[in-house]
Amino acid sequence: MEKIVKKVNDEIKRGWLGPDHNCPYHPAHFTGQDCSFCYCPFFPCNDTTFGWELQGRHGAVWNCSDCLFIHRTPVVKFIYSEIERLGIEDAKDPRFNDIFKAAKERFWKKGKALMVVGATSDAGKSVTVAAICRILHDRGYLVAPFKSQNMSLNSKVTRTGAEIAMIQVLQAKAAGITNPDAHMNPILLKPKGDTVSQVMVCGKPFADYDVEGYYNEFVPGPGIEIVKEHVDFLKDRYDCVIMEGAGSPAEINIYDKDIANMRAAEIADANVILVVNVEWGGSFAYALGTVELIPEKDRKRIKGIILNNVRGNTENLRSGADRLEEITGIPVIGIIPHADVVLPSEDSEALRGVRSKGRGESLIGVIKFPRMANFTDLDPLFLEDVSTVFVEKPEDLKGVDAIVMPGTKNTVADYLWMQETGIADVIKGLWKKIPIVGICGGYQMMGKVLDDSNGIEAGKSAVYEGLGFFDNTTTFGEYAKQILRNEGKLAVGDGGEITGYELHMGISDVREKQPLVYLERFHADPVPEGCVREEDLTFGTYQHGIFDKPAFRKYFLSFVKHNGKPVDTSHAEDYDVTIEENLVKLAKVFEENMDVERLIDIAGVRE
Amino acid sequence: MSILFLGTSSGAGKTTVCAMVCRYLSRNGVDVAPFKGSNLSLNSIATKDGGEIGMGQAFQAWAAGIEPETDMNPVLLKPSGKGVIQLVLNGRPYKNITKDDPMDRGMTLQEVKKAYDRMNERHRLVLCEGSGSPVELNLMDTDLANVGLMRVTGVPAILVGDIERGGVFAAIYGTWKLIPDELKPQMKGFIINRFRGDGSILRSAIGHIESLTGMKCLGVLRYEYLRFPEEDSLSSSDGKLEGNDVHTAFISNLDEMIAHAEEDGFDFDGLKKICGL
Repeated sequence: MEKIVKKVNDEIKRGWLGPDHNCPYHPAHFTGQDCSFCYCPFFPCNDTTFGWELQGRHGAVWNCSDCLFIHRTPVVKFIYSEIERLGIEDAKDPRFNDIFKAAKERFWKKGKALMVVGATSDAGKSVTVAAICRILHDRGYLVAPFKSQNMSLNSKVTRTGAEIAMIQVLQAKAAGITNPDAHMNPILLKPKGDTVSQVMVCGKPFADYDVEGYYNEFVPGPGIEIVKEHVDFLKDRYDCVIMEGAGSPAEINIYDKDIANMRAAEIADANVILVVNVEWGGSFAYALGTVELIPEKDRKRIKGIILNNVRGNTENLRSGADRLEEITGIPVIGIIPHADVVLPSEDSEALRGVRSKGRGESLIGVIKFPRMANFTDLDPLFLEDVSTVFVEKPEDLKGVDAIVMPGTKNTVADYLWMQETGIADVIKGLWKKIPIVGICGGYQMMGKVLDDSNGIEAGKSAVYEGLGFFDNTTTFGEYAKQILRNEGKLAVGDGGEITGYELHMGISDVREKQPLVYLERFHADPVPEGCVREEDLTFGTYQHGIFDKPAFRKYFLSFVKHNGKPVDTSHAEDYDVTIEENLVKLAKVFEENMDVERLIDIAGVRE
Repeated sequence: MSILFLGTSSGAGKTTVCAMVCRYLSRNGVDVAPFKGSNLSLNSIATKDGGEIGMGQAFQAWAAGIEPETDMNPVLLKPSGKGVIQLVLNGRPYKNITKDDPMDRGMTLQEVKKAYDRMNERHRLVLCEGSGSPVELNLMDTDLANVGLMRVTGVPAILVGDIERGGVFAAIYGTWKLIPDELKPQMKGFIINRFRGDGSILRSAIGHIESLTGMKCLGVLRYEYLRFPEEDSLSSSDGKLEGNDVHTAFISNLDEMIAHAEEDGFDFDGLKKICGL
């Protein structure tokens, strides 16, 4: 505590600083934040709008690590003017209580909420939310993305070790938020089999439900309360919460049980924008039908329609849009052309029917597991000078120059699938001839043994012989999940920087000598992880996102040769940079084709 | 007699559903033939009389057990790039359409009507397929294959909606609602296509749409993993059929689909009634 007092005293003496671009942690909270009070003069304010009591080993601690209030420039400038006016020199001055009250009174107000729903899946909700986040962020609003319930096998790990959908992480990046958290996606459904999903609450495994159990037990029980709590948390901290719906809000057979769409809008008191994908045709019917099937009390929340993904001239749709406005009484606030951007896609549905991507000569075969998870791991690879084929049957492996075995929600089930289809045998035949890399579940399969004696994966007790490329044994010991976010360096090649995150059931006993990476640990020695046998062209790791930084991508592709010619990776870029460039591009497309002033009115954030 | 299958969007499954019904009826001894007033596609085949029609109608003809003929697809529009579209009229290249030299909609609609009439003279039932969505507000006035055909022929229509994308009830209701009022009596039924799971969870919603629109739900067709020739450029599957004999594989796929539909309680009798059989 004394240390903090001293820091605050220094801050008082130093005066206003603004964003501290020299700080290695900058921006710790959001782009454009004010860093004058890195240490808060109000600590502990004990105001639950900004923090909460954390029960630690040594009793309760005031945790306000999520507070953004103290990092907003008008607030900071007000505090300094009061310090000066009152002649305060010490952090312990009791008059800080009065300044705190006055600052809250003057500058804090509950945030608003705006919801984006889609007439269908894949309507473009996610990118619309990302675009709106960026557009409002650029105008100085502090906004947060939110999706109450997301069904996706594409997730990422937050700073605090919670698992949330990848797409909310992307949207948070669009909003300029440095550390997205589980409040932004409090319910994550991860399909396990055909009917059962693992329900993650606040980024931690909660329970498994089938469809009926989810709608009849989870939703009316904890579900609604969870949505309330987290959207409220965000509204306390942000000017506006940009919410994303799920699927169509007009599925009238489950309307009363749907907490992802209009019910969430009601809970958050949000105005709603409806997005329709024009590409497939029938968009006017989809828009009108959606609006009309939603009951009157909820329908009036819908304040705007966006016609999205228009190929060709957007003006061709103008007359139709005018008619739609007339019929529905809801303005069409944007007609958005197809945006040619490179962004991770939300769910594997977007890969439906995709046979191959990319135009390079080297062909990379990606095993398309039925329960493939975190396939966005591979997005940075697609940007390199390679072609990709998604392998669903043994013939698809014909002519490939390398193989990637990605992650899966169920290693054992997908390993059995790979054996039944005959893909496993073809891979074994190609082993040592072409580079093979396994990530997470794919890595587990590369070991000698998959021990599911407890029936965690396949529902029955059995031990399976793996592909045997590495001398590893993976045991699915208990229903527990490893969730870690990592930074580190390659243990091979140029030793370049890598980032990654782990999400897996099962622990591997690794008996290989050469790790792939060294993971940095706080105040401890780096931890070796993964396996490499360069002479066998075989690579494996638990690190999702291993391709994001250029180091591993370059290293792996240096082994990939088409007719003896290696892949040119001289332009390999940090994927984070690529994403940022594309978010800028995306926001520009929306900005130029949407009535932004009207959007700001609908969001309700105008002063 | 005739019937028209409309879709709530492109790729809703009209082509396949039409092929299935062609196969079902021809198996039951009905002289049925496919028809699509206007087709925007690069996938075409040559008919025996040396004409050119869309691939979808050719496959539907085979499903019906007959040879493809040019009257099955009087207007074929083939995008040839740079804003130019080749108009194939009655199986023969007619002219290139551009923005400055557009298609004469009045004339082509008349040609569609004539071909439709000829088909009706030759066959007991003409099974028509619509094109895209029938209610594109910016295009409806100049439509040929959907409301255009309904207007000049009075043909009864059935709407096919794709549930896989979500929002199928909205799509069906919205489409019905946007069909001009004077044509609404021709809207007789709807089909929900590409469903996965237990159909009973849809019952209440289907009942609601039936009572809102007066259209009858003929059934819920399950998601088929079978591969069919893809009609238009929007579908990304390579559309190749397994096996050597494309026709045999295709027909057996349809038979499998019919078996599934029967198993799932698809109302073929109701469909026949709407067709006037």
